[in-house]
Amino acid sequence: MISSYTFGIYPRSEELIEATRKNTENLPSLFQKETEEYITAQTNANLGFVSDPLLKWDDIYRPFSNLESVNLSSLNRIYEMNTFYRILSFDGPNFINGGNTVQSNLDSSLPKNKTVAVPEPFTFADRHISKEFKTKEDFTINIAKMLRAEIDSLVADGFDIIQLLAPSIAYNKEVDFGLISDGLKILTDGLEAKTILHTYFGDVSSKIESLLGLPVSGLGFDITTTPVSSIEKHSFADKILSVGIINSFNTAIEKPQECIQQVDEINAKTKPKESYVSNNFDLEYVPKEFAMNKISALGEIARGAKDV
Amino acid sequence: MSKLFPTQEIGSLKKPADMLKKVKDPNVSDEEKIKIRNDAAILNIKTLEDIGLDIVYDGEVRRVEMYEEPVRYVDGFDFAGRVRSWDNKYYNKARVVGPVTFKQNFHAEEFNFVKENSNRELKVPITGAYTLADWSYDEHYKSKDELVLALAKNVVRPLVKDLVGLGAKIIQIDEPAATTHPAEMDIFKESINESVKGIDAKFVVHACFSGNDYKALAPQMPEIKAQQYTLEFANRDTWKEGLDDDSRKGFNVLKLFKEHGFEGEIGIGVSDVHVNEIESPELIRDRILYAAKALGDPTKVYVNPDCGLRTRTREVSFDKIRSMVKGAELARKQS
Repeated sequence: MISSYTFGIYPRSEELIEATRKNTENLPSLFQKETEEYITAQTNANLGFVSDPLLKWDDIYRPFSNLESVNLSSLNRIYEMNTFYRILSFDGPNFINGGNTVQSNLDSSLPKNKTVAVPEPFTFADRHISKEFKTKEDFTINIAKMLRAEIDSLVADGFDIIQLLAPSIAYNKEVDFGLISDGLKILTDGLEAKTILHTYFGDVSSKIESLLGLPVSGLGFDITTTPVSSIEKHSFADKILSVGIINSFNTAIEKPQECIQQVDEINAKTKPKESYVSNNFDLEYVPKEFAMNKISALGEIARGAKDV
Repeated sequence: MSKLFPTQEIGSLKKPADMLKKVKDPNVSDEEKIKIRNDAAILNIKTLEDIGLDIVYDGEVRRVEMYEEPVRYVDGFDFAGRVRSWDNKYYNKARVVGPVTFKQNFHAEEFNFVKENSNRELKVPITGAYTLADWSYDEHYKSKDELVLALAKNVVRPLVKDLVGLGAKIIQIDEPAATTHPAEMDIFKESINESVKGIDAKFVVHACFSGNDYKALAPQMPEIKAQQYTLEFANRDTWKEGLDDDSRKGFNVLKLFKEHGFEGEIGIGVSDVHVNEIESPELIRDRILYAAKALGDPTKVYVNPDCGLRTRTREVSFDKIRSMVKGAELARKQS
């Protein structure tokens, strides 16, 4: 048995979608009910770590729009997806607050073994704009400082694993690993929690060596875009390896036995320090019924895979 | 068309609120609903004609939206549920669970009605194979390429053939997903060519701007069997009047099309469909004149909004189209 978790935003049910559109009276209770359903589904699947489904979040960045001098701007496509997020404009220097922006938007009923995802600084700065910070470097570092305050608050609240979402590192053909590393150092120096950097929305085959040198506890891969054969060329003796085995972009439910065999083979070749399985990106790209089945399949895969 | 700078709509308009209310009312009979939809179609056609558009359609007033409408009528699809577009806006996404097959011409009734009720040239918008594939889950075909080509050959081509048989002369293939995956341009090109193979009509491809400024599309354009592209330019252009490159930076990419050897027509998007501000006729005039110069041939320039206007109110949409028609008139006077 290996450990497991899901991350990102989960799908709203048809009933909840309608309620958000009509702003019905029972909307708060529906949010709570579905949040609890997802937490129960993860617990019942025996996932190693449980995450908040983030049902109230309109996109993964939206809570940060509540920070001082941060303004909502235009819609932008999420990489090559048919889904959009709202660009945030950081228009002043004082957006780093007490660091409770993420935490205050999470459900309080999460069990002790909990995990949460936040965008890593390079991706965050890559997807948003600033009138205050004139260079990408300056913007990225200041975003990192803001995120560190958030992460400290989350760790103090008992979060064991922080997922760092890094789609821009995967999607952009050329990235500045020096800047990525500087941003991540700010997040992880002396942190009393594990951090796993998740790459998705692009093939990182040629970047894995550089990724292995980053100051994070582990790396997560979307194996629909980064071939397993590329990952298997590397040793993960000093890193956690998280295999994004659940495909959030297809309704076909994974066959646990095939996945178990695949994960065992990857682990045998990469010999990771610790092994996890997860989704490849936000489950909200499939409707709720499919997301629930995928959570269950993930648990079965984790239980069936050999310990490392 | 012999007229310089012909004007055209590009697709959907916001549906009249009273129509939506009535067609959703269970107490309204099916017969009455048909009449309500027909009235709404006539309202759109006549409004567009009165404004002065040269090429019209019905604002897609009968369609649910551009993905769900065709998928409802194609064998092999099964709706999975709604998936977020943004915030609390969702679309109904389907799974491909078997071979995709054309059942019936799902735009026949609509086309026949528009044909009977307009004397202008008609441009029929249909959703392309690549976009249908890209916006669906595939649980049946071995690869995305296989699904795209199956849709092109088995669904879009029979639909186009049937529409042309009914008298359609201009077909606009809507492919908003095409430019979102720059690495998949080869299969997009093949899908269009397969969709129109052996059919005699004028084909227009509508693709959205998706971050790479059509740089991936440009090299493919000469090889795609389309006579015209309707594309977005206004949404990244400046609002300053002028014919210089800086003022018209949204249109600079037109030069790239020419460099890659494309000699067909471009339906230039002169109105930004994401904002309520109305572009002045003078600004539109300058956008048209700049495009004519960039393409080196004014007869290659058609004039339209960037995209469908359904996210704007009807009042804003018609004001934008009105200004567009006036801008084209000004451009003709200066040519």
